[in-house]
Amino acid sequence: MAFTILTQGKFTSDGLGRKIPVPQSADAFRTINITQLGLTPTPGVVIRSEWFRDIFDPNDGIRWKKADGASTVTMDTFGTSTASNGFTYVTAAPTTEAQATNAITAITAASPAVVTQTQTYLDGDILRLYNTTGMLQIAGMPFQISTVSGSGYTLTGLRAAGFLAAGTAGYTRRISKYEAVDPQYLYITEITKALNAVVRTSVDPSPHYAVGMLLHFSIPNTFGMVEMNQLTGKIVSIDSTEYTMTVDIDSTGFSTFAFPASTSVPGTTLFATLAPAGARTQYDPITGLQTGYDFVKQPFHTAEFTPYMFLAGGANSPAGASGDVIVWHALKSETGITNFDI
Amino acid sequence: MSFPSGITNINNLAPEVPVQALEDFLSTPMFNLIHSFGVDLYHAEAYLGKTTRMSRFERLSTDGGQLDGSGIDPNSEVPVRSDIDAKMEIYAKSIVVNEQVILWENPKTYSKFTALLGQWMREKEDLLMRDLFSSSVSYLNATGGLNADSPSNPSRNDFNNIETILLNNDARTMLESVEATRMISTGPTRDAFICLANTALTNDIQNIQGVLLKNAYPSQEGLRPEEYASISRFRIFVSSKAAKKPSSSMLGRTVYTMPMFGLEAAAKIEQNQYTAVIGSRPAWVVSNVAQNSGLYARFAIARAITNQNWISGLNCTTFQPT
Repeated sequence: MAFTILTQGKFTSDGLGRKIPVPQSADAFRTINITQLGLTPTPGVVIRSEWFRDIFDPNDGIRWKKADGASTVTMDTFGTSTASNGFTYVTAAPTTEAQATNAITAITAASPAVVTQTQTYLDGDILRLYNTTGMLQIAGMPFQISTVSGSGYTLTGLRAAGFLAAGTAGYTRRISKYEAVDPQYLYITEITKALNAVVRTSVDPSPHYAVGMLLHFSIPNTFGMVEMNQLTGKIVSIDSTEYTMTVDIDSTGFSTFAFPASTSVPGTTLFATLAPAGARTQYDPITGLQTGYDFVKQPFHTAEFTPYMFLAGGANSPAGASGDVIVWHALKSETGITNFDI
Repeated sequence: MSFPSGITNINNLAPEVPVQALEDFLSTPMFNLIHSFGVDLYHAEAYLGKTTRMSRFERLSTDGGQLDGSGIDPNSEVPVRSDIDAKMEIYAKSIVVNEQVILWENPKTYSKFTALLGQWMREKEDLLMRDLFSSSVSYLNATGGLNADSPSNPSRNDFNNIETILLNNDARTMLESVEATRMISTGPTRDAFICLANTALTNDIQNIQGVLLKNAYPSQEGLRPEEYASISRFRIFVSSKAAKKPSSSMLGRTVYTMPMFGLEAAAKIEQNQYTAVIGSRPAWVVSNVAQNSGLYARFAIARAITNQNWISGLNCTTFQPT
């Protein structure tokens, strides 16, 4: 008789989604919300979840949920009429994660730009925007989102105040937070004219880059600052809240960086990007700072380990609400999956 | 019991064994491996950590330098070194086989499984290099096509723009020219950079102005089977597994990324004392009752873009909706 390999662990939820690497792969997965087991909150919460390979669609699974203010438990799936996010088993990265194409109703021409959209995204998610009517110059770009509510969110990486018009429609699709390999190329949305140019990207650059690393710039002439094109500069500081990096390139006399007009797309060359070009080792005797030896971000490496199980966060999802202690089990049948009719 | 009479044929007496195997297996599908042959191969020493550093001294400034006869020395210059790091990673795959498979399948099964693992190693390595190109290089959107998308389907001008970028950055071509002959309907190819493309783009490539399909090269000698055509200063190699990103164009179509590069743009590093290996584990090791045996393959690899000045590329869509 075949036996089952079981791996287990626990974590304290921060209310957000969580990735659990499962190097042995998983045929079944289970989470138990230890914190909520003995409580009777109103509204009721999910206390246990299970998933079986090749049985459930992405973002689904079985959930055991307490009734409002009672210990009574009902059992259904995450995809039922009162849907909540469930399990997504990911075997290859990067991937367009499981969520349907979602319509945008507006993107403000403001700094930062704000998107109006009914959705269930989370702070920090990365979305690819496309068919952005009125703002086609950003169509196809990925953006990291923040200040998410059920009706909209902010694009910290997009300063759109200089755009001629607001976006009036469009679509989004959530994508992986990493490309397959890191450090990865990033989309540039702004470059200042300064002794040390400040470069803004569409996503937070801090998970990918460190001070001392080199950036190679690709700036099409349609973005104005042609003098920056094909230059390489060293990062001197990173701001993870503003999505900016300061580099040792003097852009004072350069042309102004600006997105092309929406009306010129398609037909105009997109996008302005930066890519990793190594690092320069340096020791600053005044600050005592040694750069060029970040052996986590600096070496080219696989960005995301796969396979992993993505547990959606929230009181009605497998990863629980902030502060909940979650125990998880990953189960692997020695002979592989047995979810076939016998 | 009745005793039938008549001609004994396969209808009243079926063969004891109703099927027989061909003398060999049919071919296992394998995609074109295009992402490794154009990169440099290096080796990492054992016992020195898992990060390999490749360093390059940048050229010295050519400003000034003239001596004015006063005896005053000009400023000395500190050479600048750029370091490219790559982390070694190990990949493995195994197949566990029950003895009854060996006993009752045809005798070539075990050797075929070994061949499958060998194929897996080559394919996995190719995909890892593909991922490096698709993740860590800047690409420009093609704009010269007519499909009204951004990026558009590729055009001659798009290829020329990338050639200009590479030449402006002093990139060196990788492939030698194929000289003209007097063969009808052929044309010479210049010394060229490499371009890697998805097979979904072949229809678009055929329609680009000035394309020279492989069969029109003056000589077929030494050409790789993966090569498809030549455009401008690029020789194009295609694979069904070349990079693509779904729902990424302006109109939500699949975007295909085409890395285009010259010499010393990227590197692949192998680990000394960890050679790619295919091995077996006997049944008495794998199973308590010696019924299951194992085959495995494993290899180590690190990868890096070693010079961003010498690599660029295009994002493209196809003329047909995807």
